[in-house]
Amino acid sequence: MLFFSYFKDMVGREVTVELKNDLAIRGTLHSVDQYLNIKLENTSVVDEDKYPHMRSVRNCFIRGSVVRYVQLPPDGVDIELLHDATRREARGG
Amino acid sequence: MAILNSEFPPSKDGRFSDNRLLSCRVRVLSSYEALIFIFLLSQLPLSLLKTAQGHPMLVELKNGETYNGHLVNCDTWMNIHLREVICTSKDGDRFWRMPECYIRGNTIKYLRVPDEVGGIKILANLGVTRHGYTCLVTHSMGLLGVIDKVQEETKSRGDRKPPGVGGRGRGRGGRDEGAAGRQAKGIGRGMEDAGAKGRGKGGPGAKSGGKGGGRGRG
Amino acid sequence: MATGLGLESLVDQTISVITNDGRNIVVRHCVAYVANTGLETLYFADFLILFQGVLRGFDQATNLILDESHERVYSTKFAVDVKQDALEGVQQLVLGLYIIRGDNISVVGELDEDLDSNLDMSKLRAHPLKPVVH
Repeated sequence: MLFFSYFKDMVGREVTVELKNDLAIRGTLHSVDQYLNIKLENTSVVDEDKYPHMRSVRNCFIRGSVVRYVQLPPDGVDIELLHDATRREARGG
Repeated sequence: MAILNSEFPPSKDGRFSDNRLLSCRVRVLSSYEALIFIFLLSQLPLSLLKTAQGHPMLVELKNGETYNGHLVNCDTWMNIHLREVICTSKDGDRFWRMPECYIRGNTIKYLRVPDEVGGIKILANLGVTRHGYTCLVTHSMGLLGVIDKVQEETKSRGDRKPPGVGGRGRGRGGRDEGAAGRQAKGIGRGMEDAGAKGRGKGGPGAKSGGKGGGRGRG
Repeated sequence: MATGLGLESLVDQTISVITNDGRNIVVRHCVAYVANTGLETLYFADFLILFQGVLRGFDQATNLILDESHERVYSTKFAVDVKQDALEGVQQLVLGLYIIRGDNISVVGELDEDLDSNLDMSKLRAHPLKPVVH
């Protein structure tokens, strides 16, 4: 649940989602669910010339299972908070 | 609900004009109602698949092979039983005919089903509209019966018995018709019948009845 | 509702689906398609085919019901170099009603009418997407 909660806190922030097919999509995090499926708004593909596949798409749904990385804004990571949450999670709380 | 119902009843034999249908459509598509329809009218992929029983379909596997056949049955894992199957190799250059086959769901890439299978559903969406809101809650089967008639009216008039006759036997509708093509009618009839019987029935009851109708055919 | 899926808002909208195999879920049709247009000489890898349609339903596993589906065929540079004009006017192929299994799906994009109408498909060059490797 940690990552689910974490991403929920990130809603509204700008993120870049890199998929397992090397496609990288940037956009505003709109929502996330328990499978870590991700919805982005105002999307753009990072290498759009190479991959024009999403040219006519502004909002998209990304299946959690195909996500390789999510690049976060640098200030989006509160290390203290994350440590705490991780410990809590490890205790099974 | 009851108010809505009396305000907008379909006529005795369940007919109403296409105009009405269309004018209602606009109302339906508010998000909340749409959501209800999606779930209660079984706009779920696996329910649609169930509806496609008896129909021909194309199944492509992840490995590229395709299977063309009539759907006998399917389950919640998308495992599929087909009859009168033609299997085509990935490159489309080799073919095998087999009387039947069983496909494990997780090997499937996609299924292509005949448009008319979805047509039932789409009409349901249209028909649900204003009076359907009631029907959904009280007797969604009755509603689908109406839709069946609309179809009969617009498309295949004279193709089968007149609408009035269907009111009696859902068992009939289910069992006689068996195979492909007749499916739409079978469903409609079953639903309509159930609706007539149990007006006050709640959503879940109606739903399971609908499924039962589907199975009877398999 | 705890289903959590973000697809509700896309129901009855035209969507564009990118599948895990990178090219498309309907490669076989593509072959036939190529043959029909006299482009047999071209490998179908030279085309980028996007799968689009109206989302009618979905479930927790991201299985989709896609209605009025059609393929959009984009050309990659190879194809364009060879026979640009042969592609013109045949970029769409109607396919009908599909159930797509969720574990094949990478991205479901909401088709934006404005962006889409401003798109000149004949000028697009696309690298084929790699297949998803888990």
